[in-house]
Amino acid sequence: MGELLVVRGLSKRFGGLRAVQDLGFSVREGQIVALIGPNGAGKTTSFNLITGYYRPDAGSILAFGHELVGLRPYDVCARGLARTFQVARPFGKMTVLANVMTGAFLRDKKLAVARRRARDAIEFVGLSAKESTLACDLTTMDQRRLEMARALATEPRLLLLDEAMAGLNPAEIDQAVALVDQLSRRGLTIVIVEHVMRAIMAIAQHIVVLDHGQKIAEGSPKEIAAHPEVIRAYLGSGYSHA
Amino acid sequence: MTRTLCPSRALGLPVAALVLIVLPRIVSNSFAIDIFVRVLLFAFIGVAWNLMGGYAKQLSLGHAAFFGLGAYTSTILLIRFGVSPWIGIVAGGVVAMLASLPIGTLCFRLRGPYFAIATIGTAQTLMLLFLKFRNFAWGAEGTTIPYRGNSPMMMQFDAKAAYYYIALIMLAIGLAITYWIERCWVGYYLVAVGEDQDAAEAVGVNVPRIKRDIYLISAFLTGLAGTFYVQYIYFIDPNTAFNFNVSVQAALVSIVGGVGTLWGPVVGTILLEPTSALVQSWLGGAHGGVQLTLYAVILMAVIMWRPTGVLGVLTGAYERIVRPAPSGVAGTATAGPKGPLDG
Amino acid sequence: MAGVVAQAVVNGLLIGGIYALVSIGVTLIFGVVKIVNFAQGEFVMIGMYISFWLASRFGLDPVASLVVSMPALFVAGVLLQKFLIRRVLGLGDMPQIFLTFALSLLLMNLALLLFTANYRTVQTSYTLSAIHIGPLYVGVAKLIAFVLAMLLSGALEVFLRATDLGKAMRASAQNREVAMLMGVNPDHVFGVAMGLSLALAGAAGSLLMPFYPVYPGVGQVFVLMAFVAVVLGTLGNVTGALIAGLMMGMAESLGVQFVGADSGLIVVFAMLLLTLALRPSGLFGARTR
Repeated sequence: MGELLVVRGLSKRFGGLRAVQDLGFSVREGQIVALIGPNGAGKTTSFNLITGYYRPDAGSILAFGHELVGLRPYDVCARGLARTFQVARPFGKMTVLANVMTGAFLRDKKLAVARRRARDAIEFVGLSAKESTLACDLTTMDQRRLEMARALATEPRLLLLDEAMAGLNPAEIDQAVALVDQLSRRGLTIVIVEHVMRAIMAIAQHIVVLDHGQKIAEGSPKEIAAHPEVIRAYLGSGYSHA
Repeated sequence: MTRTLCPSRALGLPVAALVLIVLPRIVSNSFAIDIFVRVLLFAFIGVAWNLMGGYAKQLSLGHAAFFGLGAYTSTILLIRFGVSPWIGIVAGGVVAMLASLPIGTLCFRLRGPYFAIATIGTAQTLMLLFLKFRNFAWGAEGTTIPYRGNSPMMMQFDAKAAYYYIALIMLAIGLAITYWIERCWVGYYLVAVGEDQDAAEAVGVNVPRIKRDIYLISAFLTGLAGTFYVQYIYFIDPNTAFNFNVSVQAALVSIVGGVGTLWGPVVGTILLEPTSALVQSWLGGAHGGVQLTLYAVILMAVIMWRPTGVLGVLTGAYERIVRPAPSGVAGTATAGPKGPLDG
Repeated sequence: MAGVVAQAVVNGLLIGGIYALVSIGVTLIFGVVKIVNFAQGEFVMIGMYISFWLASRFGLDPVASLVVSMPALFVAGVLLQKFLIRRVLGLGDMPQIFLTFALSLLLMNLALLLFTANYRTVQTSYTLSAIHIGPLYVGVAKLIAFVLAMLLSGALEVFLRATDLGKAMRASAQNREVAMLMGVNPDHVFGVAMGLSLALAGAAGSLLMPFYPVYPGVGQVFVLMAFVAVVLGTLGNVTGALIAGLMMGMAESLGVQFVGADSGLIVVFAMLLLTLALRPSGLFGARTR
């Protein structure tokens, strides 16, 4: 079981702001890794760097043995890394099916094949009944499901989920956790950015903690929960002796 | 948003086609045929624009650049080298297509309104250049196409009906291309780019390449229209060839009729072109600004009240009256392959 | 030779002041309301026609008519925001582009219908006079226009930085949602932004009248300059638009001097192409990747 994703020395500044500083971590095949940290820690920026939306100032990103730095997002996706966005970005004027087919076309341009694969992904996330609904008419929760189905249709080996659980009630979180778990069982490697502790503790096998753009801790959920630096970052130094 | 009116279209299409084919035989009024030709031509230009501007939402206001390049290419080949416009029309399309490559490379660096401005700039630049090129492109005075009577091999016909049929074929080709694009992966990718470029990139859509490719097609078709127009009016000069009105109309008919739909540009042209031709013939050349004022008012009205255009209104009415229940079941009303906007 | 260049630079700088005014107006709307006003040039034209009318009817000096044209256009801007622009906000690119574009067509062609295509000018006592600064020959009318344009630009910058409303506008430009959370009323702010922008356009028009003819299409040239300057100076950056406007003026002037009399537009497009090719995010923009 090799290392699917190896991030080393990743750095990015925006003007005077050092969004990500010398970030390094790796993800083994089949793992579920969580990237956590307080707001502004650089989690989404890291995703954007990995998937090619930003170009890092320094560092390397190796996925499946190939360097990703310098690739455009569509090439990154073709290599097998799919991502969802923090705020769902569906193609509003297209139906659910059409949205997901757009993702499926990456691997096969034939209409019938793409439609079949899209339907599989839609069924997996539970949106089959709304196949013909326009994406702009969906609820937020369903739009997130659509986002995931569309990403899955690109047949990734590594899936990056950006705050997929934000704003969900506990029952919905459990459903989402079950989906992620199923994906993992199918062999997909998953990296999630999350705030929702309930979800993280339930599925993450390995956690990387960021604060102010730097990695401050890394380890199993148990180790992280007790880590003084992590506690300080989230709650302030008054609590680190808890 | 816009679903094709399938049941009515299944019936209507053969009937409409039949009517269109026999129309010049029934109507012999020269003025009327002229309007028909213009409707067909501008619908065709609208269809060409719609591929880029309607589906992919790359709002070009500089399509006159390709119109003019097509027109000048075939004219130069004809007058300087004696090449038949039948070859010239294809050559013109190719030149326009090739021009879209550098133009696209520069203009696509900007998005939205600034892309539009950059395209206006390119059309204007070409006009300026051709105003200066006296040596092989006749400069500001332009030139007329030498009249050879009825010579089909040189795309000159005494019977106006001939031009009508050529324009009809061009429009049919444009619509066919749009139809097939709509129903294959290209159509999906185009709409995805039009909706959200960044999200499209995230699912593997090579956005720069799609934009470049659709620009090629759009430019090629528009170039064909340019050649046709020169042959029709027997005259060319930079102001006619690269006229801003052409760019405006290309976009206008699509917006009024319904952007991103197959029939939108056709509907838009049918509504706008005869109106403006009639208005112009009533008021003559004395009131220079009337046509554009009219267009401007219509455009503003459409944007503010019904941005989806006439087809959007009709489809909405159709949905409410004929198909009251928004069903989630695929394949209820439509037969045949579906496009990304059909569901 | 150096004298010729210096003269061209000075001439360019002076007209650049007007370009700067128009550019600032465009970039202000773009930064705050997030739309591109294709009709900005037509409001310059309206300012010019207002001054022309006041001059020919009442003999009012065009520069003095600033006190009429600016408030009138400010009100026009607020109304425009309230009744037209507001309807298309958030609908995407196409409605926004084509609304102001249609407005531009409408205003220009209405002017054509109402005033005909004839060029109209205003002759003032100083239209033809010039002063000599060293070896340089400076047109008085242009100098006045430049000085006032710079004063107005400066006043706007002060307004944006020092007043609450100005800060609210800058806040809205940077992050509308957060600004709203802070109690900024976007409608109010947008209305003021458009009002100010159009007032600047009207000012440009009045200042132009002593030495420039008005005709229905006059706005087109200025708006084209303005658009290139806005891109060059980075979208939304008021100071950038100011500097870029001045640069455009000088570039055009040098182009006319050394390339040819009708090469003004070619210079504009060349600058646009250069900017696009080399620094698409403008002189003051960050590299986004």
